[in-house]
Amino acid sequence: MIEIRHVSRRYGSVQALNDVSLHVKKGSILGLLGQNGAGKTTLLNVLTGYLAPTKGQVLIGGHDPLLEPAQAKRRLGYLPENPPLYDEMTVREYLRFASELKGVVGKFIPAHVDEVMAFCGLTEMQNRLLGHLSKGYRQRAGLAQALCGDPDVLVLDEPTVGLDPKQITEIRALIRQLAHNHTIVFSSHILSEVQQLCDHVVILDRGEVKLDASMAEVSQSDGAAVRCTVCAPESRFVSRVRDLDGVRRVTVQPCDQPDHTELLIEFSDDAQPEKRLFALMSSMGVPVVHLSRSESSLEQIFLDVISR
Amino acid sequence: MSVIFKRDLLAYFRTPVGYVFIGVFLGLSGLIFYLYNLQYLSGDLLTFLSQLTLLVMLLCPLLTMRLLCEERQRRTDQLLLTSAVPVGSIVLGKYLAAASVMLLTILLTNVYTLIIAICGKVYMGEWFVGYLGFILQSLGFLAIDLFVSSFAKNQITGAVAAFGVNFLLWMADLVADHLPFAWMQETLHFLSLYDRYEPFRLGQLSFSGVLFFISFIACCVAATVHVMDARRFSEGGAA
Repeated sequence: MIEIRHVSRRYGSVQALNDVSLHVKKGSILGLLGQNGAGKTTLLNVLTGYLAPTKGQVLIGGHDPLLEPAQAKRRLGYLPENPPLYDEMTVREYLRFASELKGVVGKFIPAHVDEVMAFCGLTEMQNRLLGHLSKGYRQRAGLAQALCGDPDVLVLDEPTVGLDPKQITEIRALIRQLAHNHTIVFSSHILSEVQQLCDHVVILDRGEVKLDASMAEVSQSDGAAVRCTVCAPESRFVSRVRDLDGVRRVTVQPCDQPDHTELLIEFSDDAQPEKRLFALMSSMGVPVVHLSRSESSLEQIFLDVISR
Repeated sequence: MSVIFKRDLLAYFRTPVGYVFIGVFLGLSGLIFYLYNLQYLSGDLLTFLSQLTLLVMLLCPLLTMRLLCEERQRRTDQLLLTSAVPVGSIVLGKYLAAASVMLLTILLTNVYTLIIAICGKVYMGEWFVGYLGFILQSLGFLAIDLFVSSFAKNQITGAVAAFGVNFLLWMADLVADHLPFAWMQETLHFLSLYDRYEPFRLGQLSFSGVLFFISFIACCVAATVHVMDARRFSEGGAA
């Protein structure tokens, strides 16, 4: 459904994207991860035709947004990071406008707008000015705008940023519902969000794709990982930890406390790694301050990729 | 195009911009009418209209500053430029919305024509030629101001730059005769919106003037479309 072929994009001397190639299958949800400035928004802007790539090509359903804008963009709904709202319009007027922009035939617009508002929980707010809406409702209005015209592809740029926990849950639920009949690309820097919602993940770092894998592959690459903070210098124990049975990799993490060391230890198996590690530390007389299972495999991969 | 036109026209009257423009224009034109016509008991409509050129020069940027700069500032251009509507239709829709407010305002200045008609006599030919020239010149200013504001990132910059260009056009007219080369003088006179209006001010229907203004407007709109399109390739943005 979406084909990104060797896309590069420069802003003057800054290389925002460098030879990015991706393929998104119909009906899948792709999560785009990366730190601030990694190139996520630029990639989404190129994907939607808002920006042109310096090199390479994007195809949406086989159509290039720059060469065949009408065909490509009719299939596309875009929610940018800041929802593009006209404060002086009411919700209904705005969605009517968005539907007209997407080419919905005039006589079908009222019913279509009703449907989109009902789906996004905006019916009660339909006569309110967009400028008077709360952040959560503004986000919903932005999402509703992206749904106008019933596009096949939805591109959502950090759809939950700035929302309170309840609103985040609501927006995630909407995205989950949309996943049944849409191809979705969304960016986020919330790892758990990507893990919950996506079936495919791409990690961007400094404009380059560092990981392009299905969520199943990410889970399989798991083993187990343990975070361990000890009150001792690194030189005293790290080599012994590396020699421990089943340890695949040991990464020293940045730590706030001057006399403490924090480690992320990856095990190739999942047979009580905390117990083995604790026994080793005790045998060396190294005081363990904190020991826990790392929350997600994606987190390990993400940290690993961006620290390379 | 009609969808953009309707939205932008509505936006003029949902925000103070439309009312301020019409109110200030009519207020100041009323003052000019009082000073030049009522004080001297003059029914000279053409001179009155030529005085309004100054108002157009001053106030046109108020109409154009929001059309593209505000979209860019509020990032609503992302909605428009990722929709299926071509950039040409977006720019034309916006231009026509601003032109409609301008035409409405000019239409309302006919209250002064009515006063002249009640107190004296209005020659219909003179009225037609005078208003035709004034409308074309005003639409020409709108077009060049729209083009200039397409380069600006915020409304204030857009308005100041547009006013600057209007002022330059006015100055260019004045300095043209002092330039050392004939081709420079001719070029400036050729492009001058003020020179082109001159026959209309004298009550002469100038077909070359009409053609010039229409071509000038078309060129400015086309150039604005080009600027908008080119921005996809040059725009800096959040990474």
